Amino acid sequence: MKAIKGILLTCDSAVKQILLTMNEKESFIIEDLDDFHLVIKADEEYRVRRELETELEKNTYSLEG
Amino acid sequence: MSSTKAAKGRDAKTPAEHVPHPLLPFLQSQSQNTLTRLYQRPSACLSIFRLLGPLERQLVMNLLWLESAIPSLTMAAWVTPEGKILYDSSLLVLSRLHIVTNLLNPATKQSPKLNLNTTFKTSFRQAITGGGTSGSFGVPAAKDDKHPSSGVEALDAFAVERWETILHYMVSSGTGQVLAKPSAGVLYLLQRSRLMATSHGSALQITSAGFQFLLHSPHDQLWQLLLQYLHMAEERQMDLVEVLSFLFMLSTMDLGRVRNCNVEYSAESLSDTQKAMLEDLRDYGLIWQRKASSRRFSPTRLSTTLTSSLPPLPTSASTGTGTQDQGFIVLETNYRLYAYTDNPLQTAVLNLFAALKYRFQNLVVGAVTRDSVRKALANGITADQIISYLAAHAHPQMRKNNPLIPVTVQDQIRLWELERNRLKSEEGYLYTAFASQADYEYVLNYAKQLGVVVWESPAKRCFFGSLEGHANIRGFIERRTGGGGGG
Repeated sequence: MKAIKGILLTCDSAVKQILLTMNEKESFIIEDLDDFHLVIKADEEYRVRRELETELEKNTYSLEG
Repeated sequence: MSSTKAAKGRDAKTPAEHVPHPLLPFLQSQSQNTLTRLYQRPSACLSIFRLLGPLERQLVMNLLWLESAIPSLTMAAWVTPEGKILYDSSLLVLSRLHIVTNLLNPATKQSPKLNLNTTFKTSFRQAITGGGTSGSFGVPAAKDDKHPSSGVEALDAFAVERWETILHYMVSSGTGQVLAKPSAGVLYLLQRSRLMATSHGSALQITSAGFQFLLHSPHDQLWQLLLQYLHMAEERQMDLVEVLSFLFMLSTMDLGRVRNCNVEYSAESLSDTQKAMLEDLRDYGLIWQRKASSRRFSPTRLSTTLTSSLPPLPTSASTGTGTQDQGFIVLETNYRLYAYTDNPLQTAVLNLFAALKYRFQNLVVGAVTRDSVRKALANGITADQIISYLAAHAHPQMRKNNPLIPVTVQDQIRLWELERNRLKSEEGYLYTAFASQADYEYVLNYAKQLGVVVWESPAKRCFFGSLEGHANIRGFIERRTGGGGGG
């Protein structure tokens, strides 16, 4: 038995796929649990959220942009 | 809540959806002793009566002129079965305020009797019929020919200027603009009510509660600050009864000129506590004084409407707040927003959640965009607050629409809010690589009893527990393996 410290992310499957792609560049996922859950390294959360935000913004059409 | 109330309009308010005034819970939390002392002042009784709901007012009026207590069964006989719940809750409010006393005589086993608190009854009768020389409605100052007091317009201008200085300071605190600063007392009050806060010794910054505050109606804003003032008064060892009765006194005073006669009130008859309050209330724009040392004062519209349903800010078009009451926003289904206003404060508030494009003399044009709403959401404003602000300030032209706010825009604003929450995170430990299924289930059961399991998968034989459960689970496993090894 072992216990691994980390952060459990709950997300939809689209976001999960983006996270998996991001993981290929720089690994931060500890365990891929199921379609909606991932465990990642505790100190990476802030960076992951920020990068995900930028990634999601790319897919948004903006009037001003 | 307040803005939905405003959206429905004053007349549409049925007793069932009457929202209790924010001051009532505060009064209910006070001791019977405090309240009875407060009820010695006729002006306080009248003001509290005006804050009550329609049914509560009716009950008080029914009981007011009765000399003796009446059996509660007699009273209850007037109530229809559907009204029973409403009646009971109204009676509860009144007895919590110690206005109605519910006399129960266990010895005779008679039904309980209802009566008004004697102090309240005496003072309220006095308030209605006049008489008495308590001076609780304020003492008019002697006419002063040397310094004619200011008229209603000047008082209104003063109140608006003071009040908008406070709000404008809040709304622009993040933008780095340099603006007239409210006094230190006001700043302290804003900080104490957590509408603004300093981070790392920097200048005051508006908080998410502050952003929400800006979207409330002026009446609610005023009471929110005054409630905070009341809480602070307790800490400052001020006599709460004095503070409250002064506010109530102000709320029953006359504004400006009455029958061609300038109304000013004398500060001489005030208690020391109340004299100290003059300065604070001057800063909030509730009171006007010719100069700080003046022995007379005039209440402004902000204070004379404290307990009434009239708008607390003047409705003359010249000051720019004229549109406040009728609403000034037109919102189209294409997210375009037209605001008929020349008021910098209203423009600044709109700028919290809309992207403004053009600005004319009396019109501001903008649009509700994804970016502008996201900025508002990041500031802690919720989608519902934006929608209810738009509804509360909708232009009369908009009122023809049903629903008032275009459904597309409403839904989109809510969707933008949901979009921000695509990722939820929870810190903790992943327990994995159990030796056997029995082992796994044993530990999982224990964790479930603690209520710390966030996610589990029997197929993978692992589960995720929250951070606070870890110490217990580790202890549990160590005890087990340790015990197993020893035996």
